Amino acid sequence: MMYTKIFSWPFCSFLLFCFLALTSWTIVLKDSDLLEFFSGGSLNGVLDNFRHIYNSQISGQSDPAFLSFESWYRAVFLSFRTLLVSILAIGLAGFVALLTFASGSRNLAMEGNSPIRRPFSSLIFYLLRALYTVTRSVPELIWAMLIVFTMQAGIVAGALALAIHNFGILGRLCSEVVENMDQRAIRSLRSSGASSAQVVLYGVFPDVLPQLLTYILYRWEVVIRTTVVVGFIAAEGLGRQLRLSMSWFHYDEVIVLLTCYVALVIMVDIVSGFLRKMAA
Amino acid sequence: MNVVRKVITGRPGVVIILTTAFLTSVYIADWNRAIPRSSGLSGIYEILKGFSQPDFSQEFLIVAVQATWTTITFGTSAIFLALVIAIPVSFLASGTLFRSFVVRITSVSVVRMFLALVRSIHELIWAWILAILFGFSPMSGVLALAIPYGAILARVFADFLNDVPQPPLRALQSSGASNIQTLLYGRFPSAYKDMLSYGFYRFECCLRSAAVLSFIGLQGIGYQIEVSMQDLQFGQVWVLIYFLIALIVSVDWWGSKLRRSLAE
Repeated sequence: MMYTKIFSWPFCSFLLFCFLALTSWTIVLKDSDLLEFFSGGSLNGVLDNFRHIYNSQISGQSDPAFLSFESWYRAVFLSFRTLLVSILAIGLAGFVALLTFASGSRNLAMEGNSPIRRPFSSLIFYLLRALYTVTRSVPELIWAMLIVFTMQAGIVAGALALAIHNFGILGRLCSEVVENMDQRAIRSLRSSGASSAQVVLYGVFPDVLPQLLTYILYRWEVVIRTTVVVGFIAAEGLGRQLRLSMSWFHYDEVIVLLTCYVALVIMVDIVSGFLRKMAA
Repeated sequence: MNVVRKVITGRPGVVIILTTAFLTSVYIADWNRAIPRSSGLSGIYEILKGFSQPDFSQEFLIVAVQATWTTITFGTSAIFLALVIAIPVSFLASGTLFRSFVVRITSVSVVRMFLALVRSIHELIWAWILAILFGFSPMSGVLALAIPYGAILARVFADFLNDVPQPPLRALQSSGASNIQTLLYGRFPSAYKDMLSYGFYRFECCLRSAAVLSFIGLQGIGYQIEVSMQDLQFGQVWVLIYFLIALIVSVDWWGSKLRRSLAE
């Protein structure tokens, strides 16, 4: 009794996690020069930059970016482009995930409820699940690197990278929703002679739609945050400008862009929360 | 009229709004730039060739294992720090520590607004900011992951602490337990399973984020992928991607095992 209690899964996981955390922290602390870290490496450089901006404004040479209307206008325009990328990405991901989730859920594919015939449906099930896993495990940024290598950077390239990763996440979440739904609706449609396409359309879809919508909106909130980072590589919207301003040490512009970014994210959170309440 | 309002404000309305937004963005997007680069077709060919001929030579496997270990190191230390930050902050954000209504509302809204602000900035932007302020050391990378993850965890943990069943709490309170005692002996024990399984899910996300810390020049899987891609060694890129997938899948498996045993 005691033996099984001590070596239970949660306890072993806890031990393993603590071991990993301790080892990791030892390595991180060994590798980073803490003295330099807390003396604030280039903190002084940043402060100097602001002092310079302040002085140049006092002497009337130029306004810092956060006081000029033009730079705000440009940042808002770039935010709009970023929003566009995020909607395109989540739309693509959601569309493809909605097309495939029925063939990717075990209960539909394995019990002959899929529109596709039996041996093929299980083959497609395993292929889809593998595809979900592969696309989900590789972060958006790495997809972006691979895509930019073959395609011109721009809205579509960025959206594609985001869409591939989120397709994996949404596909898996949606299939799991179908696997966890009440199976009686499927069985009763089945026994009254509905075809498998009818089962999916009239039995599964209405039942799981609210959950799918919630997941899509929730992922949209995540995507808008990541769009900026993908923009660093895929050269689009706020991300690209942020990268340029940072590498030119224009920290006043960085502040404008970061403010717009945070405002955009909070706005998307509010809209998504509102839509989720509507869908529930 | 009533029917129209029901359609617009309900689920169909959401579907209509989302579809319209998507179609508008498809219309505005610059599809004429969505063409392969001049070298693009051969690039796709190279990537596919790498897929069919992954570089499993011994020297490179050692590199890949080291990169994976570095990523695990960053991810684990970050999520550990995030948990250490998140648990006390979630106590504050759940507002269960204070009895006075005014103090509770102010502390909850201030802490939650702060968490929302911290959360809204992506971990790699944090990495960039910290790297500028404190230099490109592993410590900046770990902090960059731990800050937003701590904020996410704190907010979700606070929700879990708020949503626990009430009867045990009332029993504790009526036997004279203080607020802190109710929190520690009433709320925390009923919420800790949810907290553990959510924390584990975030661990998986954190490892994925740690893989792309190459963004600020830190080592790891993402860094090696970048190096191999610059050398046009797509066989190596695919091996690294396989390692990343194996890492994520095994953590996912560990987490689902843990969740199942917690649910029993």
